[in-house]
Amino acid sequence: MTMTFIIIRMGPIDPVSAIIGPEGGAAQRSQIESRLGLNDPLWEQYTSFMWNLITFNLGQSWVIQPGRGVYSLLGTYAPRTLWLGFWSVLIALFVGIPLGFYAGLNPNTTGDYFASFGGIVWRSMPNFWLAVMMLAVLRQSERFFFGLDWHTFGVEIGSLVGQPPLDFFGVTGWTTIGLLSIPSGFYFSGTTLAASIKQVLPAAIVLGSASMGSEMRIGRTAVLETINSNYVETAKAKGLSNRIIVWKHVFRNALIPLVPIITNEAFVLIGGSVIVEVVFSINGLGYLFFQAAVQGDLPLVGSLMFIFVLLIVGMNIFQDFLYTILDPRVGYER
Amino acid sequence: MMSMESPTEETTGRSEPIITVRNLQTAFFTDKEVIRAVDGVDFDIRPSETVGIVGESGSGKSVTARSIMGLVESPGRVLNGSSIRFQHTETVREFARRFPGRTVDLGALESEYDPAELFAHNAIDATPEAFGYDDASEATLTDFVGTGYGEALGLEADDCVFVTEGSTDEPRDGFVEITRLSGKPLRAMRGGRIAMVFQDPLTSLNPVYTVGNQIKEALRLHQGLSGNEATREAVDLLEAVGIPDARRRVAEYPHQFSGGMRQRAVIAMALACDPEVLICDEPTTALDVTIQAQILDLLEDLQAERDLAIMFITHDMGVIANVAHRVNVMYAGEIVETADVEPLFADPKHPYTRGLLASIPGRQSGDRLQTIEGNVPTPNEPATYCRFAPRCPEAFADCTEVHPVSLPVNDDVDDHTAACLLYPEDRSTPAAVERHADLDDSISEAGYDDGRTGGEDR
Repeated sequence: MTMTFIIIRMGPIDPVSAIIGPEGGAAQRSQIESRLGLNDPLWEQYTSFMWNLITFNLGQSWVIQPGRGVYSLLGTYAPRTLWLGFWSVLIALFVGIPLGFYAGLNPNTTGDYFASFGGIVWRSMPNFWLAVMMLAVLRQSERFFFGLDWHTFGVEIGSLVGQPPLDFFGVTGWTTIGLLSIPSGFYFSGTTLAASIKQVLPAAIVLGSASMGSEMRIGRTAVLETINSNYVETAKAKGLSNRIIVWKHVFRNALIPLVPIITNEAFVLIGGSVIVEVVFSINGLGYLFFQAAVQGDLPLVGSLMFIFVLLIVGMNIFQDFLYTILDPRVGYER
Repeated sequence: MMSMESPTEETTGRSEPIITVRNLQTAFFTDKEVIRAVDGVDFDIRPSETVGIVGESGSGKSVTARSIMGLVESPGRVLNGSSIRFQHTETVREFARRFPGRTVDLGALESEYDPAELFAHNAIDATPEAFGYDDASEATLTDFVGTGYGEALGLEADDCVFVTEGSTDEPRDGFVEITRLSGKPLRAMRGGRIAMVFQDPLTSLNPVYTVGNQIKEALRLHQGLSGNEATREAVDLLEAVGIPDARRRVAEYPHQFSGGMRQRAVIAMALACDPEVLICDEPTTALDVTIQAQILDLLEDLQAERDLAIMFITHDMGVIANVAHRVNVMYAGEIVETADVEPLFADPKHPYTRGLLASIPGRQSGDRLQTIEGNVPTPNEPATYCRFAPRCPEAFADCTEVHPVSLPVNDDVDDHTAACLLYPEDRSTPAAVERHADLDDSISEAGYDDGRTGGEDR
């Protein structure tokens, strides 16, 4: 966090000129400076910055949307990124790992070569290029998919790019029982949900492509390693059926090396990706963070950074916790 | 290389063998070459007897064990002409009941086909000599169905239980042909009838499940036990293999066990289903000497208690002298010498056996440890010469020309055989060479060109 402060406050970025624009005069300038407290001694600015973060007093944005609270900004931007991240992680998990396990269980077959080669291709296509290609192909989908128009296929969506509509689920009423507020009314729109998924899917595929590829490769290696281990041979010698061997003895052991990969990729869920969000015009956290950083919006950058750090630490703790579930050799005792 | 013991085995006064291995050939088909890891091996395993298999690394010991377990994996397979018969009436009864569609009455088949005429059948490329007979009329149907020629007799590809006496509903005697097993009966045989203990106890248990869980898995599979009953049985088993405080140990993970304890746990797991045969593939190699002695004692006790037939694989002659009743010495995929343990150690005949015994530390005369120079060759071509000849101190010109077959070492004994041109020792060497050459010529190379695999999907 100190580094964030140093880079923003002592680097070449000037939030004041970003606020007043090229025409601002010196008087206006000093007025804004004193309002933001930029004339205070640097150590005072630093201590109040740190104290506010620790007490979760995240403040208001300076430049992007002046005066708007960071929490309210997060409330607007975060769900889009979470929605995008959710689908991209889901795609990576439910396509990458099964493919990898399939390839590992049938090594050196056509299916394995196909999956492995596909994994390398997915892994090596850069996101910015893949995103643009995806848009180009979908825009002219009638030409590529024998008259199937992506815009009208299933649910109709107006544009390929833009934020997914997230208002498919909402709470319409609250009842209060004692101190607890319990939502009493819901509404749910299947069509909007479908449109929302359809809107975010191309972006999610692009964002998940790299993790999908690496999960596939690592899943394959992990399965191959397990399947050639002595305890699998012992299990076979016991007369167990292939299904039990794969699901009981291979699967759980092969998941162990996959845990750090999966949790690392879950950072995508919160961090988002500037490139993918920009190409698909999804105004998410990645986009917000990038804008805040280049314009010197210190409270916003600092807060976002702080939240990311907290989530990463939390995720690592969760990862260690997962290890203790999967692998009894790792435990709390002793 | 056929042993001559099959027709005469009744004279030895032993009980009937539970496993009869005949002309077992297991080969690995790689892009470059065909490696004949096991090349025509014959031996028997009898109840409450320990059969030792010794040889250097790479001599085919483990592949032999895996072939019996049906654990040979692609690109390896058991070739046509190989036969591993499991002769146990109770098993035949149970299998005939559970897999009626795969049971065949050999008596009924016998009335349809005449074994002697079958050699002329198109699909059968075996010769009477390959089955160890001098004359076609001595062959029986058992030889054919057991050796991969069953299809020529109109058998289904998955028939594997053969009844020789009685009917398929009420079998009185018969055998299960292991090389024809696949799917369910194969898995019922593995673990349930033949269990195996692997080399490295440290890695043969799955690290993420408790020892009890892994023992109970076998109990559930073969005995249908579950819940508390299974736990109790697992505790009893752990106690039987000498693990103290078994009640607590049953809930512990393998990493909480020491090396010797893990091997005991693996043995407990193997015994979980009360198998008839236990195959031990170098079970003590990874353990230190005191633990090794304990494990060997344990195996001996268990054998006495349960009438186990044990096949014990090792490269340690000292261990073999301790545990085995009968010893097969393997070299480059072939059995070069077979004898009971006392005659083998007292009077080894094959130069390779002598070399092995001479290289035990403490047994030699000079200052330096004697060794056998060189390494085991990779058997990647049909044997047309003695594979040991390049390393043999007693090799002579014919050794590179004639492939020796297993023959009794002299006319007085029939249960001590050696595959060496120097034997039978009561004949002159040229006469012996001629006998070997005659017998070898007549053995066909069946099985390599095509064939039922029986290995791949196991």
